[in-house]
Amino acid sequence: MSRYVTLKKSDADFLKYMWGTFSGTERALPIESLNPGTAQESITFEIKNLKEIKRPSDLFIFSCLIKWNYFFLLFIPLFYVGVKNYVFQRIFDPTSFGLAAAASLFLFAGLNIRNDVIDHVSGFDRIIKTAGKKPLLLGWTTADSANHISWILCVIAIALAVPVCIRQHEAVRVVGITLGLFLAGNFLNKNNYKFNHFSEFVLFLILGPALCSGYQVAMGSGVDTEILIFGAVWGVAVLFLLYIVQFSNLFETSQAGIKNTLTQMGFDRSKIFLMSWWSFFIVLWTVYHFLYASQFWLWFGTAILIFWSLPTFIQITSTHSPIGSDLIQVRKAGNRAFALMNGILVFELIWNIYTQIQGPL
Amino acid sequence: MSVKIFSPQDFPAYLPKLNSLYDDLFAGGKGFRSKLVQIVSKPLKLSTETETLLCQTIEFIHNASLLHDDLIDRSQLRRGKPAAWTKYTPEYAVLAGDYLLARVMVNLSGHGNIKLVQYTSGIISDLLEGEWLQDSVVGDFFITVAQLDRIHNLKTASLFKWCLKAPFIALENYDKELHVILDEMGTLLGQLFQRSDDLLDYDIRNDEGKVILGDLKSGYLNSFGAFVSAKMSRSEIDQMVKSKDLSDFYFIFDPDQAAGKEKFLSKVNQFDAVNLQKIELYHHYVQQLSGKLMLMKLDKTSTEQLVQILNSLTDLLYFRKKSV
Repeated sequence: MSRYVTLKKSDADFLKYMWGTFSGTERALPIESLNPGTAQESITFEIKNLKEIKRPSDLFIFSCLIKWNYFFLLFIPLFYVGVKNYVFQRIFDPTSFGLAAAASLFLFAGLNIRNDVIDHVSGFDRIIKTAGKKPLLLGWTTADSANHISWILCVIAIALAVPVCIRQHEAVRVVGITLGLFLAGNFLNKNNYKFNHFSEFVLFLILGPALCSGYQVAMGSGVDTEILIFGAVWGVAVLFLLYIVQFSNLFETSQAGIKNTLTQMGFDRSKIFLMSWWSFFIVLWTVYHFLYASQFWLWFGTAILIFWSLPTFIQITSTHSPIGSDLIQVRKAGNRAFALMNGILVFELIWNIYTQIQGPL
Repeated sequence: MSVKIFSPQDFPAYLPKLNSLYDDLFAGGKGFRSKLVQIVSKPLKLSTETETLLCQTIEFIHNASLLHDDLIDRSQLRRGKPAAWTKYTPEYAVLAGDYLLARVMVNLSGHGNIKLVQYTSGIISDLLEGEWLQDSVVGDFFITVAQLDRIHNLKTASLFKWCLKAPFIALENYDKELHVILDEMGTLLGQLFQRSDDLLDYDIRNDEGKVILGDLKSGYLNSFGAFVSAKMSRSEIDQMVKSKDLSDFYFIFDPDQAAGKEKFLSKVNQFDAVNLQKIELYHHYVQQLSGKLMLMKLDKTSTEQLVQILNSLTDLLYFRKKSV
């Protein structure tokens, strides 16, 4: 027999239940609602004894919380910046580079958890069910514990970033601009930063040009045109992933009244937009390779990318409903195209290292 | 009280076949939704005129949706008789449905409560969105129960929500908290009713004699089908889609007919267990509603009766117990 408790947001105990601090032996699991207005008024919790919850290992819960599968969004630019500067022998401060890399990873992990906590407390995660395990909704941990972990990770990130800023003064400007963008993205928007026009642009800047130039500044090489162009290419690719997610949640987000690029375009136009965006990315990719890569990678890499993108375009075109299983297939196809692009890039970078060591063939 | 309220104003006699079409349509219905409106209206002491209007409204909307639904699904039968689009013409079926919805707006706007008109229009939009979405997933045999829930929330639950909320709106009670509770109750009732209806397709508690595997054969994987197929391999799903009767369906679980049926029934039990949790949640909301009604200082006896009836609805809608 389940036990339920419904609390208004104005109730004295509301936050205790929301943060999971109301009991040491029980968890309050918010019930999903199909009525978008509900989360603004009250939340119904299912009260479960801790013994009833099948809790996986702490490591698994932690990996779910930090969303380790998205870490490649940092690893690829990190690898790129490292290789680029290794090839040109411009790694002047490897220690700062290492510290900046570690700081960004800790910060990314901390912010991912924070994002989940905010979604949980606002009730957003009861309306929009995204893919992947949600430790807070499943009761594996409390919002309070997750929040603590998030702060610890963010503090470690700051502690690691301070020596970088001391050693490389230019890094202060990059961190300052990034922080400003992040705060603007958070505070100028009603919803989560993932779901708004301005926030999409902020996400493009932070995970694209700002991240790439930040790594390069940290190693003492300053900012150059190549890194900014690569950052822009990467940012556009990251937004493609975001748009794929927005597409797969189009119906739910539209119902909840959330405004983002795809909900404003609607189902039919979103399909065209997704294909146009990825085509735009391929154009940028080609321009970047035309300017900074060898003829081989320009033609070979681009040809493979175009060829591999065709199934993605076909999948998007053949999607008939904003609610069926086609959406999962679109998401998979989009992720596959993105993964292949990463594969080509990594292979190209490894090839660059090899030719640097061996000398040109 | 009869809910079949025809008036020359509603249905002009000079339109050929319209009244005979409605006669056929309204004759076989149980009028469950209008009964629910009456049950909720009783402790609120709505005027007979308002109560009649609400009952008429919900029956008109429901029957309009049936006229359109049968045509979309190409269903030959409705309540054991030829569907309107087959007996008359598809054009007349569409127009008759449209006409019912138009009359709803004419009648409601005459009542003068703009919030009620607005809410009812929203529900009709939801209903149509649900139909549209359902049509868009025909042939999708990998759809999940959660995705179908969203469609059913629009298509089926919207009318249950209306039945619960409209009497309060007619009374100009717009208490947000109360309406959130009623929304959640309506959603759960709609889901339970739809899931039970989907089980009929697999001949579970099928006292109505609904056609077996009708949904599946018309390319629509219903909630029970989605529940059963969630852990199936692609080849098993292919086999399921090709099932001509329940024997074929049991074969997916086990080549031995008896063992296959046993495994199938164990799936039904699992499905029931999932829905029992929804029933428990529904009862929690009824309890919440009871608290709200007490604060409204309504007649205690009729409020208690209402709570009792609302609590028993799950037996009627999900378990199809006739004695409730």
